[in-house]
Amino acid sequence: MKSTAKLFAVATALTITASQVQAGAVMDDVKANDEVICLVNPNSPGFSVPDSQGVFQGFNTEFCRMTAAAILGDADKASIRGIGFSDSMKTIVAQKAHMASRSITRTGTRDANPGMSFVVTTFYDGQGFMVPKKLGVKNASELSGATVCAEEGSTTLLNIADWFTDNDMQYKVENINDKSARMQAFFSGKCDVLASDLTALASDRQLAKTPSDYVLLPNIISNEPLTLVARPDTAFETAIFWSFQVMLNAERLGVTSENIDQVVADLDNQPKAVQRLLGSDSAAGEMATALGLVDDWSYQIIKQVGNYGEVYDKHLGSQTALDITRDGTFNALVSNGGLLYPHPIR
Amino acid sequence: MKTETDNINNELMPRTTGVVHNMVKLARNTRRWIYFRLFRTPIDILITCIISALLLQFLPKVLAWLTWNSVAFWGDPNLCTEEGACWPFLREKIRLILFGTYPFSEQWRPALACLLLVGLVGLSFTQLLRLRSTVIVWTIGSVAFFVLMSGGSLGLVEVDSIQWNGLPVLLMLSIFSVIGAFPIGILLALGRFQKEDPVLRSIAVGYIEIVRGVPMVMVLFMGLFILPLMLPESMNLNSLYTTLIVLVFFHAAYFAEEIRGGLQALPKGQYEAAKSQGLTYWQSMRFIILPQALKCSMPGNMNTLLGAYKDTSLVVILGIHDIMATAKMAYSEPQWQQYGVEAYLLVALWYFCTCLCLSTYSRKLETTESKAAK
Repeated sequence: MKSTAKLFAVATALTITASQVQAGAVMDDVKANDEVICLVNPNSPGFSVPDSQGVFQGFNTEFCRMTAAAILGDADKASIRGIGFSDSMKTIVAQKAHMASRSITRTGTRDANPGMSFVVTTFYDGQGFMVPKKLGVKNASELSGATVCAEEGSTTLLNIADWFTDNDMQYKVENINDKSARMQAFFSGKCDVLASDLTALASDRQLAKTPSDYVLLPNIISNEPLTLVARPDTAFETAIFWSFQVMLNAERLGVTSENIDQVVADLDNQPKAVQRLLGSDSAAGEMATALGLVDDWSYQIIKQVGNYGEVYDKHLGSQTALDITRDGTFNALVSNGGLLYPHPIR
Repeated sequence: MKTETDNINNELMPRTTGVVHNMVKLARNTRRWIYFRLFRTPIDILITCIISALLLQFLPKVLAWLTWNSVAFWGDPNLCTEEGACWPFLREKIRLILFGTYPFSEQWRPALACLLLVGLVGLSFTQLLRLRSTVIVWTIGSVAFFVLMSGGSLGLVEVDSIQWNGLPVLLMLSIFSVIGAFPIGILLALGRFQKEDPVLRSIAVGYIEIVRGVPMVMVLFMGLFILPLMLPESMNLNSLYTTLIVLVFFHAAYFAEEIRGGLQALPKGQYEAAKSQGLTYWQSMRFIILPQALKCSMPGNMNTLLGAYKDTSLVVILGIHDIMATAKMAYSEPQWQQYGVEAYLLVALWYFCTCLCLSTYSRKLETTESKAAK
């Protein structure tokens, strides 16, 4: 009995050491290569699209930069690569990349894959409807008998079928795979409704002659938590998770990339939460040592990337072409009625 | 056939010389051409009227969009309107369309690599080199292409093939797939065009007919999803190389059929003559049959080559970013979303110019070959 217990203890100890060694592998790889290989969608307006120099820009790319800033101290050390959806999952599982920030919906079956870990949801999307303003429709429950344009072969169609059947309404679907053809059909009035994810609808609306002629209906018929994916490694995942929390906390506390130098210069007079976020011998400093991040990781993230609100406004906010409303949606901070909940840095 | 007015004009007009005479002649010829080609019969008149009406309807709009309503290449993109083309868009995005997300500071490498491939094709077209030196030059050129593109040696930064986009991908896939497919095509054709070995023959026939019987898109998908299952797991081929392999085997079947046509076209006497000289099968093929058969099948092969080149753009569906995909990237940025037509026009121009070169070359080849045959 005793020996069995001893053996068990040894075995446990071995497993723990083994998993600890394994746990740091991705983190070590990032540091050894001095770059974070981060996969994004090659063509997703507002989220990741190459600019004229071929450098990916957009909301999703900022989380690649965030990770590089936290671990390597330089956001530009994120090697951002555009790759198709199924290829990106394969590449992560094949250990050819460190993370993916490409609007992957976290679902149970995907999470069950041991080759990849979902870390933290950066955007709450959902499927919605867009209609011409002149139809006078205010709610999707008035869409009985409508013709819906949607992309063939996507979950979009399944969601539409679920929703219309659940609400006991008739509808017709125009499956059009090609985006330009689908837009043409919708703008020319061949369909009454365009169905897709809200973010896609917002960018599609920009293709209309007068975008203001079209409205997004308030109904959201599916949950799409778009989540960062990492190669499994506790240290690496923790680093990404808390880097994201730094961006949320910074927004909550009003620290931006613009004012952070003034805040740091006058740190002693700042609220305690800000001191914990940015002080060198504070909670953030302790975390840096424990997680193996650069000492001033929180400062670097905010300085080089910005807080969550800044990043959102820069790529998706009202002064961009996409103009995706944030107030009152899931993507607002909890304090504004959203789902983004800044975890305590302490 | 002269008309009455022509006769009257001739009589009334004094004989003039020099410029005036030429101009009168030119005017008369033009008038005659217009009459004979466009207005000779009532049906001609009807067709001419319909086509002119259509042209009058659309041509001014297209021309206006292309030229006077557009903003010039060096102009200010903020002045772009819906009425005209926005050429500054191309100035802004040309490097993205050509080289995609290849690191900006390293883009001289894909540029050089493309020039290298185009140069090699041009050099082969001049037919200055013999077969052996062509093989050597191409081997060196291909190695140089991959070293330039992927780096990691000679002090070049390593660039993952995920970041290879645009023109180099198009050229690489089309040129190397054709180069790989042609020899396999010859072997398949020889396998099909013989009677000694029925097993080999049926394998060749089966292969050719299966590949030719399914659409290319399906073959591409099969290759992407089934090829990795057959390979050992440690061989993690990326989709670019998988696609290249699939294209090689796809085009090989088409080349095989063209070459078999060439083999069949040779008079039977050639085969018998080769045999009577005591040549072995391979010797007779190498020295007597294939040189003639390949010459015969050249027009067909050039046709397959042109098709293969244009079909390469289908690889977009596998998530490989050739020049079509980078054109799409170029107008995806929210502030440039309206300018898809300009981007695709550029791609169309590229395809048109290169295909024109290829078909001109093949026509030239045909005439020189047929002259040589005479």
